[in-house]
Amino acid sequence: MAQRNRGRRIIRQKPDRKANRVIFIRSLILMGVFGCLAFLPLFVKLWQLQITDHDYYQELAVKQQTRDSTVTANRGTIYDSNGTVLAMSATVYNIQLSPNDLRETQETYREKVEKAQESGGSLPDYPEPTNEFIASNLAAILDLDEADILRRLEKDSQYEMIKWRVDTEESDAVQEFITENHLSHGIYLMPTSKRYYPKNSLAAQVIGWVNPNMDNVGAYGLEAQFEDELSGQTGRIVTAKDGNGTELLYRFEDYYDAMDGNDLTLTLDATIQSFCESVVQEGVEQFEVQNGAFCLVMDPNTGAILAWANSPTYDLNDPWEISDPVLLQYIEDVKSGAYTEEEAYQKALAEGCTQEEAYDKAVDAAVGNAQLSQWRNKAINDTYEPGSTFKSMVLAAALEEGVVTESDHFYCSGSVMVEGYGSPIKCSNRSGHKDQDLATAVANSCNPAFIEIGQRLGAEKFYDYLEDFGFLGPTNIDVQGESASGGQIIWSRESFTNVDLAVASFGQRFNVTPLQLITAASAVINGGHLMQPYVVSQISDSDGNVLQHTEPTEVRQVVSEETSARCRAILEKVVDGGTGKNAAVEGYRIGGKTGSSETTETGRTIVSFLGFAPADDPQVVVLLAYDNPKPVSPGANVTSGGWYIGGGSMAGLKAGELLEDILDYLGVEKSYSATDDVLVPDVTGMTVEQATEALKQNNLTLRTVGEGDTITGQIPANGASIPGGSQVVVYLGVDVPTDQVQVPNVIGLTAEQAQAKLAEVDLYLRVSGASQYGDNVVSYEQSVTAGTLVDRGSTIEVRFNDATASGEGL
Amino acid sequence: MVKQRRRDLTVMQQLARGPIDIPYLMLVIILTVIGVIMVFSSSYPTAMNEGLSPTNYFVKQATFGAIGLAAMFVIARINYQTFRGLSVFVLGISIILLVLVLPFGYGRSTVGAQRWISLPFIGGFQPSEIAKVGVIMYFAARLSKRNTEKHRRLPSRHPLSGLHAWLDEKGVLEPIPYFIILGLVAVLMLMEPHMSGTILVLVGGASVLFAAGIRLYWFFGGGAAAAAGLFFIMTQTSYMATRLTIWKDPWNDGENGLGKGFQLIQSLYAIGSGGLLGVGLGKSRQKFLYLPESENDYIFAIVCEELGFLGAAIVIVLFILLVLRGYWIAVHARDRFGALLVVGITTLTAVQVFLNIAVVTNLIPSTGISLPFFSYGGTALMIQLAEMGMVLSVSRQIPAPKQE
Repeated sequence: MAQRNRGRRIIRQKPDRKANRVIFIRSLILMGVFGCLAFLPLFVKLWQLQITDHDYYQELAVKQQTRDSTVTANRGTIYDSNGTVLAMSATVYNIQLSPNDLRETQETYREKVEKAQESGGSLPDYPEPTNEFIASNLAAILDLDEADILRRLEKDSQYEMIKWRVDTEESDAVQEFITENHLSHGIYLMPTSKRYYPKNSLAAQVIGWVNPNMDNVGAYGLEAQFEDELSGQTGRIVTAKDGNGTELLYRFEDYYDAMDGNDLTLTLDATIQSFCESVVQEGVEQFEVQNGAFCLVMDPNTGAILAWANSPTYDLNDPWEISDPVLLQYIEDVKSGAYTEEEAYQKALAEGCTQEEAYDKAVDAAVGNAQLSQWRNKAINDTYEPGSTFKSMVLAAALEEGVVTESDHFYCSGSVMVEGYGSPIKCSNRSGHKDQDLATAVANSCNPAFIEIGQRLGAEKFYDYLEDFGFLGPTNIDVQGESASGGQIIWSRESFTNVDLAVASFGQRFNVTPLQLITAASAVINGGHLMQPYVVSQISDSDGNVLQHTEPTEVRQVVSEETSARCRAILEKVVDGGTGKNAAVEGYRIGGKTGSSETTETGRTIVSFLGFAPADDPQVVVLLAYDNPKPVSPGANVTSGGWYIGGGSMAGLKAGELLEDILDYLGVEKSYSATDDVLVPDVTGMTVEQATEALKQNNLTLRTVGEGDTITGQIPANGASIPGGSQVVVYLGVDVPTDQVQVPNVIGLTAEQAQAKLAEVDLYLRVSGASQYGDNVVSYEQSVTAGTLVDRGSTIEVRFNDATASGEGL
Repeated sequence: MVKQRRRDLTVMQQLARGPIDIPYLMLVIILTVIGVIMVFSSSYPTAMNEGLSPTNYFVKQATFGAIGLAAMFVIARINYQTFRGLSVFVLGISIILLVLVLPFGYGRSTVGAQRWISLPFIGGFQPSEIAKVGVIMYFAARLSKRNTEKHRRLPSRHPLSGLHAWLDEKGVLEPIPYFIILGLVAVLMLMEPHMSGTILVLVGGASVLFAAGIRLYWFFGGGAAAAAGLFFIMTQTSYMATRLTIWKDPWNDGENGLGKGFQLIQSLYAIGSGGLLGVGLGKSRQKFLYLPESENDYIFAIVCEELGFLGAAIVIVLFILLVLRGYWIAVHARDRFGALLVVGITTLTAVQVFLNIAVVTNLIPSTGISLPFFSYGGTALMIQLAEMGMVLSVSRQIPAPKQE
C-alpha cells in the first residue's frame, strides 16, 4: 500500500508543457554540444598526432624502445699477387676492469673463508684477490704501472679500461690469470679488432694504414682508397627493451648480418717489392741520399705494378713511429740546434711564446713533418724533372714521325745555340761528343743531338706526343694520391715556345710524376701501347668469390710496334756500353736510359734510371731514383764515398742489381755467355789429354801441378760450379792441398787484375756488373770480405762499375 | 513476492515493464567488452613487472565488469521512480563518505590525495564516484518538481520582502539550495584534494540545472566566473603554471622530458606511433613500462597505439553514439525526472570521455580523469554500469510510438 501511495504521489507531478519544452530544448542543446561539437577537436588532434606527425613520434618511440647493438664486420685482407698476406685483421682484446664487480668478488672470497672457518672446511685453494694482488699481477703481464692500476681499482666505477688492443700472448696470459684466481667477475677481455701488417714496412705508402683511433677507418693508401670495399657492412642487432632497459628478446628482434669486407689482391709481388726496398735503402745509405728515393717496377705489357717502394718508409703496424735513419737524424738536428731555423719556432716566438715553448713547438713540428714525409708516396704525390730518361719518349716520337733514322748523324760541339735564347745550351760533355749516329747520341745522352731531334719534330708534334704519352693528365691508377689533373707542371700548348721545345727535348724545365714517366716509358718499349697502370688486380668477397677482376686497359696506341722495336734496340745500347753501362747484368739483355734531374734547389740532383729487360721482349720496366745525394762539398759532383753523382753511376748501378734479382726470381732465361757457370767434371784417374778434352767440353781449361800421367786429384772437386773459361787445377801424383786460403782484397782492380790475383790462391772470379767496358771499370764490391778463410777452388763474386765521370750517365 | 500477472498491474507498473533500449544496451556492452580487453592488453606488462600474474588486472576488471553488467540489468528492472526517494539517501551517504574519507581514507601515499575509502564487502572505492551520482539523482528529483514547488515568501512587513519577491520572480533565489549542495561537495572533494572529481561533480550538477530550466544568466555568470577562476589559477598559482608549461611543451619540464612531462611524452609516442592502422592488438611497445598508468588514465593512448587512428576513431564514435542515444532517451523520457536524470548521467559520461582523451592527446593540460568503461578500476566500472542501468530503466518507460 505504501508503495502505491508513493506512486500516486509521483503521478501527481503535473504535466507542464512549458517545463517539458524547456527540458526538451535544453537537452537538445546539450546533445549538440557534448554529443557532437566536443568530440570534433579530438578527431583533429588524433589525426595530427597519428597521421601527420606519425613518422616523427614513431622515430622517437622506436629510438627509446630498441637497443641497437652493432656487430663488427671483419675488414678484408690484402694479398700480394702470390697470395702473401700484406694486411689482415684479427680479433684482439681490450683489458677492462670493473672495480665494483671486483669488490663483490672479494666479498665472496671473504665469505668463503668465514664459512670454511666456521664449519672447519677447507680454505679456497687460490690466493685472496686483493687489489694489490690484482694490480701487481696485471702490471707484470701487461707491462703497466702498478700504482696506476691500484688507483683505478680503488675508484667507485663500473668500467676501467686499462689496456687497449693487447697481443694474443698478453690476452692469453690475462685469461689464464683470471681462470686461476677465479676473477671472471671483475676482469674482462673485450673483443675488438686490430689491423696487422705481417710484412711491416713492405709497400707501406701503397698499402697505407687504418687509424685505430678513428674506428679503424683507412687513413692512407689503399686502405683509404678502398675503404668501402675493405670495411664491409657493420651488422646490427635491434632488440626491443622495456622502460627499465631489460631486453625483450622474444619481441621485435631484427638481425642485420654483418657483411665482412672484401679482400684485395694486388699486382705487387712481395718478393720483388722487398728487392726494391732493399735496393732503395742500400742506395740511400751508399749515396748519402738526403730527400728519399723511390722505385717503381711495372709489367710494361699490362700496366700492372709489380713493386712500388719509397724511402723514407715506416712500419705500418705503428705508422707514427719514426725509424728511418735520415728522418731520425733530421729530428735529432732540430733538437740539438737547428730548431731555430724551423718555421714553427719563429712563428711561436712571434706569437709571444717563451723560448722553451717555441722549442717544443719546433720539435713537434719536426716530428709531424717527418711523419708526413714517411707516409708520402713520392712516386705519385710528387713531381720531378724527368731529365734524360725523357729522351726515350722523344726518341720514340721522332722515329715514329720519321724525322730521324738510325743512319742519321748528329754533331755535338759541347753546346748549341737555340733561337730565342741568349746563351748557348751546354751538353753534359763540355768538350762535345763530336760526330755520332742516332744510337750513339742516345747512348751518350747528348743534349745538342736531342735539341735537334726536337726541332725536327716541331713544337706542335712534340706537344701532341706529350699528350699521347699521357703527360698531360692522370694515369688513372687505382692508388691514392694522384691529383685529378695528373700532377704535372708543364707549359700550356699556347705558351710552348721554341726554347721550351729545346729544353723539353732533353727532359728539363717541366715536372711529371714518376708514375707518368714509367707509364709512358712502358709504351715506348712494349709495342707502343699506353697502358693504364693498376695495383689492385682482383677484389673478392670473404668467401673467395671474385667480384671484380682488373683486365689490362690500353689507353691508346702511341707509336707503332716497329718504332717500339727500334727504340728497344737503341735503348739497349745505352746499357751496352753507353751511359747506362753500370746497369748491365751478365747474361741478361737490359735496355734503359739514365737521367739526372736538376731542381730549383741548388746542389740538389735527382738521379734516376729507367731500365727494362729482357731488351728484346720486356717483362719488367723499372724506374729507380734517388733524390739529392749529398755532395762531399757544396757544388762538388761526388759524394764523400767517392760516388759520382749521376743517373748511371748511382741509379743505374743499383738498378742493375735490382734487375738481376728480379729476372732471376722471375726465371727469365739467361742468354748464353762464355762466362756462365759450368759444372766441373770428375777428371781424377784420367790422363792429362783425356782431362783436357773433358774439360774443354765444359768450357774449362786446366793447369797441372806435379808430374805423371794420371791425374790423382783436382781443384775444384767434381760437381763444383765455377765460371766458364776458368782453369781447373789437376794434380799429378801430388797431394791435393786441403788447407784454406785467405781471400785477397780485389776492390779497385779491373777484371783482369782481379782474376789474376784470385788465381794465385786457387780462387775463381765471378764477375757481375759492368765488366767489359774499358779501364775505368773497376770492382767496388766482393762477395767474400778480404781476409776470410775459404776452401781452395771457391768462387768469389765481384761487382764492377764505372765510377768515373764517363759513367755518370746524365 | 509473488509475481503479479500483467493484467493485475496498474498502467504505471505496466509502463515500468516496457522494453529496455536495445541500441543503448548494445553500446554499453560493446564498450565494456572492448574496455576490458584493452585493460588486459595494457596491464600485463605492469602486472608482470610487479611480480603478479599477467592476467591479474584483467581477471579483476573482467569480474567487476561482469558483476557490473549484472547490476546494470537489476537496476534497469527497477522502476526509476523509486530513485526519486532514494536520491536524498544517496546524496546524504555520499556526503558522509566524503567526510569520512578525510580521516579514514587512503591514497595519500600513492597519489598524494586522500581519495579512497575501504568498506567491508565492497572494497576500496572513491566516494566521489557516488557523489556524482548522488548529486545528479537529487538535483533531477528536486528540479523535476520545480514548477510545483512552493515559493517561500517573507512576511510582507519584512523590510526586504519586496526585494525578495523580485529576486524570486527573476529566478535568482531558486538555484541557491543547489549551489549550497554543490559547494559543500566541492569543498569536501577539494580537501582530499580531488580537482578532476570536483570538476565532474560540478559539470554533472550544472548539466541538470541547465536542462531543468534554471535561468540562463546563471550559466553565463557561472561560466564567466569559472573562466576567471581558471585564468587566475593558471596564471597565478605555480601548481597550474607548471602544468601549463608542460602542456605547451612536454619536454620543457626542467628534466628534459624525464620529469613531469614524461608521462605525456610517452603518451604522445604511443599515440603517434600507432599511425593509421596501429601496431596491432596486444602489440603495443609503450606499455612495456614506458607509459605510466597505461592501464588506467592513459589507456586510450595504448588503444591508439595498438588500433591506430581507425580503431581510436571507432571507439570515440561508439562513445558519441552512446552519448547521442543517451540524450535521445532523455528527450523521449516519460517524465521530467527521467529526462533530467539521463541528461545528467549522459553529460557526465560525455565530459569524462572528452576530458580524458583531450588530456591523453595533450589537447588540454592534464587532469586525472579516467576513461569510462576502459580505465582500470573495479568499483568505478561498477558505478558506471549502475548509472547505465538507471538510463536503461528510464528507457523502459518511454511510451511506444502510437500505432495508427
